[in-house]
Amino acid sequence: MAVLEEPIKEVLELKNYVNGEWVDSKAKERWDVLNPATQKKLATVPMSTDEEVKAAIQAAQDAFPEWRRTPPLARVRCLFRLKEMMEKNFETLSRVQTMEHGKTIDESRGETRRGIEMVEVATGIPTLMQGYNLEDIASGIDEYVVYQPLGVFTHIAPFNFPFMVPLWYSPFALATGNTFVVKPSPRDPISQVKLAEMFEEAGIPPGVYNVVHGGAEAAKILMEHPAVKGVTFVGTTSIGKIVYKTAGEHGKRAIAQLSAKNFMVVMPDADVNATVAALLTSFFGNTGQRCLSGANLVMVGDDEKFNKRFLETFFEATSKIKVGYGLDEAVQMGPMQSLDGKQRVLKYIEIGIKEGAKLVLDGRKVEILGDYPDTCFVGPTIFENVEPDMTIAREEIFGPVASVLRARDLDTVINWINAGNYGNAAAIFTSNGKAAREFQYRVECGNIGINIGIVAPMAFFPFSGMKDSFYGVLHGQGKDAIRFFTESKVVVQRWF
Amino acid sequence: MAMNINTCSQVVSLARELEQKAAGFYRDLARRWPQKEDFFLGFAEENENYVTLVERAYYGVISDAYEGCFAFDMDPEAYGINIDLPEGVSLSEAGAAALAMEEKIIGFYREAARQSKSLMADVPRAMELVARKRSERLGRLRSMMEKE
Repeated sequence: MAVLEEPIKEVLELKNYVNGEWVDSKAKERWDVLNPATQKKLATVPMSTDEEVKAAIQAAQDAFPEWRRTPPLARVRCLFRLKEMMEKNFETLSRVQTMEHGKTIDESRGETRRGIEMVEVATGIPTLMQGYNLEDIASGIDEYVVYQPLGVFTHIAPFNFPFMVPLWYSPFALATGNTFVVKPSPRDPISQVKLAEMFEEAGIPPGVYNVVHGGAEAAKILMEHPAVKGVTFVGTTSIGKIVYKTAGEHGKRAIAQLSAKNFMVVMPDADVNATVAALLTSFFGNTGQRCLSGANLVMVGDDEKFNKRFLETFFEATSKIKVGYGLDEAVQMGPMQSLDGKQRVLKYIEIGIKEGAKLVLDGRKVEILGDYPDTCFVGPTIFENVEPDMTIAREEIFGPVASVLRARDLDTVINWINAGNYGNAAAIFTSNGKAAREFQYRVECGNIGINIGIVAPMAFFPFSGMKDSFYGVLHGQGKDAIRFFTESKVVVQRWF
Repeated sequence: MAMNINTCSQVVSLARELEQKAAGFYRDLARRWPQKEDFFLGFAEENENYVTLVERAYYGVISDAYEGCFAFDMDPEAYGINIDLPEGVSLSEAGAAALAMEEKIIGFYREAARQSKSLMADVPRAMELVARKRSERLGRLRSMMEKE
């Protein structure tokens, strides 16, 4: 078994996709997009000018009246064609993600599938978007509510799921009759370019879906422009605060899905092998660069025999993880997406050591499968003897680092979780229903796992989040997304 | 010594490789024994369908949230198959080689099904289905050999 063929053969000069045209940017600044595993240059991406960003918004605004009038059934037929295109290009899309992000090919295929599922769910709009009514609210007077699209929505994308995350929003926005402008992460924007090619081929009318590249300046325009009705954002809490505040100040609705510090709680009655398998994906899948990643592993109770056996199994399995280029099918964990990301992880490893945690598996000494530069690679890392007030137990590391804590009982760990700033996800591993029920009932997190390591809601459920992990009212995906992308209009009617 | 395989992608690739080799083997038998051509070519066609079945299950349900990179620990050498038959072997010798090959491949699918229980249900179900269908094939091969 070998390294799979790379679909990107030459350096791409990325363009914006505006009003159904691929447009060269006049940007003075272009960033290089590097393959984090090989360090080869894959593309250059423009930091689009203000005028170019505004042109994309204008195109979306101009396209809105006609798209809104397009019957929902006709709109979703475009999405059916888009799904077909995505299925046809499934493998290419997946390999592009691996090349520009670094994740393994299994992870990329999983990301592609999740993205397609968003489109599939959005094709149910003719049913999902229906309102409701009541006859005779008073004699001869009827009342009903319809859900109407609002206009232009934008998405400011993160780097960790370059293909899937924008699809948490765009299919729902388009299916409900809105138009859309996405700004991909400049670190890995190629997946969104490939996707836009499919939107184009699927017959989405010009201006309905637009891609504009750029950085913070472009994002600012997307958040402030008067034609934009709503902003969606996935990224860090510090930036999310700015996004949410800016959107609010400009009278826009917003979804901001943000940072996390997720607890994986192991009860003494957990199934050791199944739990360890789930935790490997949780802590080290996507190289720990996901808002649903496990961060703190909490062993509950004083059954030292169980704890020792569990941690030995976890350590042994973790130390065998094969690290390398994600297009090598044997690889189980890829590099960090960027050198910045790696340096952040290294910084936290130093902090953990300084604060007195015991480094039992050191990812700084990573063995790479194959001949690749170690620029962005960091191996799986495990700290033991971590206390809940240590920096590595509180702050988001966003890398493959597991901090092992010990808690006297379930109450203690629930209190730790609820005392933290973040509330994205938490999971309990147990065979005790009462403990599981107590956990899901009391823990202040939006996504709760019971014997599940990555609590990723499917496309037909909202991707929840609480506290500093989410700013907004309605979440992405599912029925929440339908409500987010529509306004309720109530009609009260009487005929004389 | 080959490394053990751990990822879904590797397991699906191995399934594809085994099926392609097996299909090639049966095409060779069909060439050597034209009177059994339909019988052997039918097997080759089934093998190609099994690849589709396994790939469809994998690509259809793979999710970033499950243990795709960590689900397996299989030794690929345990499932190495010999498809080179010397010229001049009898049909019953060829049948015996086919039986040995089929049993190895069944073993692969059963183990893959067992190890993929934590994945979306379609994956172990597809693996089990192929193992079951192949087990039925053993009977057809034995019956063919008895008639000779």
